[in-house]
Amino acid sequence: QERKTMIRGLVENENGQALEGVSVDLRNESTGAKRSALTNKAGVFMIETPGATGPYMFRISHLGYVTQTLHKESLDPQKEEALYVVLKASSTSLDEVVVSYGRQQRRDVTGAIVQLDAAGVRDMPVNQFAQQLQGKIAGVQVGQNNGQPGRGMEFRIRGAASLSSGNQPLFVIDGIPVTGSINNINPAEIETFTVLKDASASSLYGSRAANGVVLITTRHARPGDPKIEFNTFYGVQVIPQQGRPRMMTAREFAEFQNEYYEDRVKYEGYTGELAEEYRNPERYGEGTNWFNALTRAAPVQNYDLTFSSATERSSSAVIVGYQDQQGVILNTGTKLFTLRLNQDFNFSDNKLKIGFGLAPSYRIDHNNRLGTQGVNGLMEKIVEASPLIAPVDENGDMPLYVNSPGMVANVNPYAQFTQRKDDYKTTRLLGNTYLHYNFLDGLTLKTNLAVDKGAETRNYFSPASISTAGVATGLSSSVDNYSWTAEATLNYVKTFARDHYVEALAGYSVQKFEQESNTVSGTNFPGDDVEWLSAATSITDGSSNTTAYSLLSAIARLNYSFKDRYLLSVAVRRDGSSRFGSARKYGNFPSVSAGWIISSEKFMEKLPFVDFLKIRASYGITGNNNIGNYPSIPGIAPSNYVFNGELVPGLAISRLGNSELAWERNKQLDIGFELAVLDNRLSFTYDYYHKISDGLIQDRPIPRASGFTTITSNVGEIELWGHELALNANIIDRKLKWDASFNISFDRNKIKALVAPGFFRRNNTVSSDYYRNQVGHALGEFYGFVFEGLYKDEEDLKNSARWGDNSDVGTIKMRDVVPDGVIDNNDRTFIGDPNPDFLYGFTNNLRYKRFDFSISVAGSVGGQILNPSKWAYLTNLDGARMLLAAVKDRWRSPEDPGSGIYPRTKTGTTAIGRYVNSQWLEDGSYLSAKNITLGYTIPLGSNLLLRGLRVYGSVQHAFIITGYSGINPEISLDGLNGTSIGIDENAYPVPRTFALGLTATFK
Amino acid sequence: KKSFIELAPEDQVSGATFYKTEAQFRQALAGAYVPLRDLLDNDFYTGEMRSDNTHYEFYQINRGTAYTYRENIADFTDDPTNSYTNAIYFHCYTGIARVNTILGHIDGASLSETAKDDIAGQAKFLRAFNYFKLVRYFGGVPLFLEEVTTADEAFLPRATAEEVYAQIIADAQDAIARLEAPAFSNDQQPGQATKGAAAMLLAEVYMTQKKYAEAEALLLSLNGMGYDLLPDYADVFSTAHKNSRESIFEVQYMQGLQEGQQSNFIYRFIPRTSNTTVLTGLRYNNSSIGGWNTPTQDMINAYEAGDTRLDASIGMAEGTYNTSNMFTLSANKSIIGYTPEPGKTGVPYIKKYLHPHTDPNNTDDNWPIYRYADALLLLAEAQNEQGKGGAALAPLNRVRARAFGNNDHDIVTTDQAALRDIIAHERRVELAFENHRWHDLVRTGKAIEVMNAYGAALKQQYDYLSPSTYQVNANRLLLPIPQSERELNPDLTQNDGYPQ
Repeated sequence: QERKTMIRGLVENENGQALEGVSVDLRNESTGAKRSALTNKAGVFMIETPGATGPYMFRISHLGYVTQTLHKESLDPQKEEALYVVLKASSTSLDEVVVSYGRQQRRDVTGAIVQLDAAGVRDMPVNQFAQQLQGKIAGVQVGQNNGQPGRGMEFRIRGAASLSSGNQPLFVIDGIPVTGSINNINPAEIETFTVLKDASASSLYGSRAANGVVLITTRHARPGDPKIEFNTFYGVQVIPQQGRPRMMTAREFAEFQNEYYEDRVKYEGYTGELAEEYRNPERYGEGTNWFNALTRAAPVQNYDLTFSSATERSSSAVIVGYQDQQGVILNTGTKLFTLRLNQDFNFSDNKLKIGFGLAPSYRIDHNNRLGTQGVNGLMEKIVEASPLIAPVDENGDMPLYVNSPGMVANVNPYAQFTQRKDDYKTTRLLGNTYLHYNFLDGLTLKTNLAVDKGAETRNYFSPASISTAGVATGLSSSVDNYSWTAEATLNYVKTFARDHYVEALAGYSVQKFEQESNTVSGTNFPGDDVEWLSAATSITDGSSNTTAYSLLSAIARLNYSFKDRYLLSVAVRRDGSSRFGSARKYGNFPSVSAGWIISSEKFMEKLPFVDFLKIRASYGITGNNNIGNYPSIPGIAPSNYVFNGELVPGLAISRLGNSELAWERNKQLDIGFELAVLDNRLSFTYDYYHKISDGLIQDRPIPRASGFTTITSNVGEIELWGHELALNANIIDRKLKWDASFNISFDRNKIKALVAPGFFRRNNTVSSDYYRNQVGHALGEFYGFVFEGLYKDEEDLKNSARWGDNSDVGTIKMRDVVPDGVIDNNDRTFIGDPNPDFLYGFTNNLRYKRFDFSISVAGSVGGQILNPSKWAYLTNLDGARMLLAAVKDRWRSPEDPGSGIYPRTKTGTTAIGRYVNSQWLEDGSYLSAKNITLGYTIPLGSNLLLRGLRVYGSVQHAFIITGYSGINPEISLDGLNGTSIGIDENAYPVPRTFALGLTATFK
Repeated sequence: KKSFIELAPEDQVSGATFYKTEAQFRQALAGAYVPLRDLLDNDFYTGEMRSDNTHYEFYQINRGTAYTYRENIADFTDDPTNSYTNAIYFHCYTGIARVNTILGHIDGASLSETAKDDIAGQAKFLRAFNYFKLVRYFGGVPLFLEEVTTADEAFLPRATAEEVYAQIIADAQDAIARLEAPAFSNDQQPGQATKGAAAMLLAEVYMTQKKYAEAEALLLSLNGMGYDLLPDYADVFSTAHKNSRESIFEVQYMQGLQEGQQSNFIYRFIPRTSNTTVLTGLRYNNSSIGGWNTPTQDMINAYEAGDTRLDASIGMAEGTYNTSNMFTLSANKSIIGYTPEPGKTGVPYIKKYLHPHTDPNNTDDNWPIYRYADALLLLAEAQNEQGKGGAALAPLNRVRARAFGNNDHDIVTTDQAALRDIIAHERRVELAFENHRWHDLVRTGKAIEVMNAYGAALKQQYDYLSPSTYQVNANRLLLPIPQSERELNPDLTQNDGYPQ
């Protein structure tokens, strides 16, 4: 047997101070045998080696320091080896991840956490960080449900959803839970994203963590040369041709009106005349394409300048940004000005650290938030305008109405889009200051004080020139919000008896949010010259409001590891919230997790190709408090009346309170493993999760005979479960470098319990009651009639169930689900499911010499989309609206039945086609190439001021492979919450962006 | 001091601590009148358009449910999902809930007895009024008499119609006992419910129950309360004569852009047009709200020659329809002797609610619920039904004399059956477009006969009416219980003849 040897070593930091608790891992490269040890208080470690014959690899890692690897060919069995290692401090390291209230060695993490380095996604020509994260992280669905500049992004982590209490995760920026919108954060300021998926990772955020938590750290300067970095891109955005509605041309529409008229005469004995405008359709050509008239190619540009400098004593980073994104819908756009200052100081030999972060931003939205979804959305505007009429006539005037005979008279959408003003200006200030004081050995006090201050004004003016009453209207409003957070934690780190490592944390957190708002609106302006309310002769409405919430919390966590391979973590947060009923103010959110680093075990030496293997499990409870601010308190609102010809103030209870309203709890189990093989070139993570969300909070509909429509209540329970897999591979590492990562997640949910009657419907209108949430079904399953084609002939009509008197040969036939021979409301049923079977993302980065190339795709398979945009707006057969060109192929007679999709135009028979039915369903699967970038790093002489220069071309939303007929298969009606996914009521189109960018670094 | 996490909305009062002072109860009471306006936004579909008084302007190019639901009410093809009949149900109950909140707190509050009587009396009138609407439209309905504060309390099964009527009578009697007669100042009253309003309401309830003697006594009790007919019929509806001596109860509106107290009935009752100026004096595009409650030829024909009420009630909108079913107005004409200009069409419209106003779609018109002429005709009916035809002639002819401007058209017959028809006809023309017709047809047992005959005639006239329209049977005398209510509360049964 080979003689073993003893190795001693000393580990110090750059200041020559001994480092305690440093992990030292040793591996025999030929046998795979491994040993581990930790340094003691004096910074000294001792390892007995498995043998003298090498080669050996040492890995020395410590929280907050850059990991070092050392190689020894062989060891001298005759003498003890001694190593001296100096570890360099690092602000972030790949081996270290940001966790709630701190950082942790990646290998020691027992929760489901994914960290993404923002540097890898910085090339995308986008101005919201959420766009950068699409398809990047298993279990994190980031959907772009509309293309409004600077807006439209939605997160959903692990399918998280409650019925109505939101699905957005909690965003924590540098330790501050942000209370406002996240879209004002300049992506250039971000260093890392960390997604906390399971309960053990997130339970320290307690009542806000049920939908997951995204921790964002901003850029701080690192020791090294001071530098200036300049980033810019300029791009052009266009709406892809794919998915645009193919509408009838002017000639086709006139032909349709002719045929519609002929059929009315033929089948309905109509005696009127065909309007002159529709005669001789051959005189018309393309006519006005209103889609083109209302949309455009639009520029986007972005500039970021970063200054950073750091010494041992202090570091500062300044990031200045400017973005200007014009919208692809006419006369819309946004501009954002941002600044971030991050300043850190070290005093008393790193015992005292103080830092400041300050990030003001200012955004100008121009017509950017006009309703482009649903009723009054873009598609509706397009179908309510005639292709026979130009948006601007030959005299340069915009006609008020642009309808042809028989069409609904709506105001010229081109005039509306170009003449209406709706500007929002948002000022935002995020600020925080921290203090870390290491006052005793291993004991540190950390405090964090933060503010999130926002102010927004809105100025709206709709001129008389687009008013049917010839009256201009205006509105002015402002919102001011202010939130502060104060936190203090005590942190204790200690290694006992060499093998017992303990990290404890206890603390206190207080947060308060306050908001004030006011609105004034006016009308009867003397003209359209002055667009401000000072010109309005009538003030029609004015109000001011305030709202607030507060949170009072205590937190505690204990991490314990034994022999650096058996890991245990216990955490708890106790939240008291102003939002809950007097009887339920406080909630406890505990979690426990454990991990086992199997690869550190001796028996794993037999599997030398395994570099790292860990299994972990967690269980915990988190909460959801997105329930509005005062749901437990009955609201009384003004309800005024008139006596004696004068206004008398009145009041009425507007909302029932619910003092028994309890926390929405999310109980989650997670089991996962992490595996790295082949010299860490291939790593693999798998997680299974299972969540029970009980006490779901929703405005529960109650019989209106009570005088109320809803009461905010705990209404039921959902079960959510799924599998997540992520694979990272360093495929080629030679002259050509190729890294790839792939992730896939399978998320399922099922409603387990609901209060009577066991389901919630969307509303009571058959044309928009899209889904039903019902016990035993998944969230948001579509509900409606089952389309069975058209009645073929008299025989078919006679033998089939009919919709009152309205059914006829050539009209739409629905399935008689309740077989009573009549088609009515009772024949509606579950017709589809928006929940995808799986979601995936795939990213490739290649580098060859000075060229780099990357492509990232994201996709979804199996979810269905319900397309009211098409069936309720684009195919209305009553002659009153513009139509899809496909409608030409409709039923005209038994001999000419058309495609079997579009029925006849007989008066009174077509409405059923606008009732939700299975014909509206489409497969929503897609593969979307989110970004393709090709870059080239320009060689530079060494003495230049300019140190690095890279140019790149980038295409965002490069292509989509989908069978879906609409523009955007990621669409959802109201974000990604459980009750609106997969519904296409049309939205602001998501553009494709072609951009050129440049990154320059200066000494 | 409250703890850090005890927060309440500062921009509104909170329920728990409210309802203490008289001022607070007065505010709650004002709030309890407001749902009457929501009710009136829908009541003309079911009260007039479902009868033979009015129809609608068929809108060929828009067949969305917003149009078809309202047409279905007129055509007797409505079903339990009809949002306009559902709205009647909902808004009556909103009013009831607001009353229940007042009544639930007032006994424990330290108010003077006078104030308590006045507030509780008005509240009970409103509750009786709403339940009377409900029981006539829907039959026996859930009887909510307590304030609802938790979800569990919101689920009640239907009471019987008898139980509902018993409650209405109890509330109305209490209201009569506690309220004062109207206080006229310059011939105007404030517009709140009074002893007279409660008596009138209870009289109509008794008429519905065929308790004629009780009804007669109540109607006669109005005589000492200062009510009178205005000399000119058209003045009754004028915005210059709101809450007049003829008014027993009317719903209050006030024009203005700021307060949100305005009405807009006329904009809903005239044909759909992109410019209303010719009729209303102000430019407005009423195409999304107009075209409803159009007087029928049957209604126009019901007026006798020389009856001034025709010209006061109905006007003629003259113009042309374009191919989008929109009406281009060219003239506002009198219906008396009307013949359209060549190439023009005349569309009758309800003129009772057309008065000068300042802003488009923002009118000052109140809506009459009960007025003295109604009381007189009801009295005549009560007396005739008791065989007192001679006595009935006085109130009947008092109404007719005003209508014709002289006594030349007085009724003289005392034959009970003949007089019954005459009084019914008189109510139709006197109270036209005030949401009485449908209730009167049902109350007098005439609805099935009248509406089937009317429907048959209408189908001759309009080819868009399908064979299933106007199939009026006993089931159709009640509206369906809203489908959404039954889905939430499976204990609620549906009225016969509607999809279960």
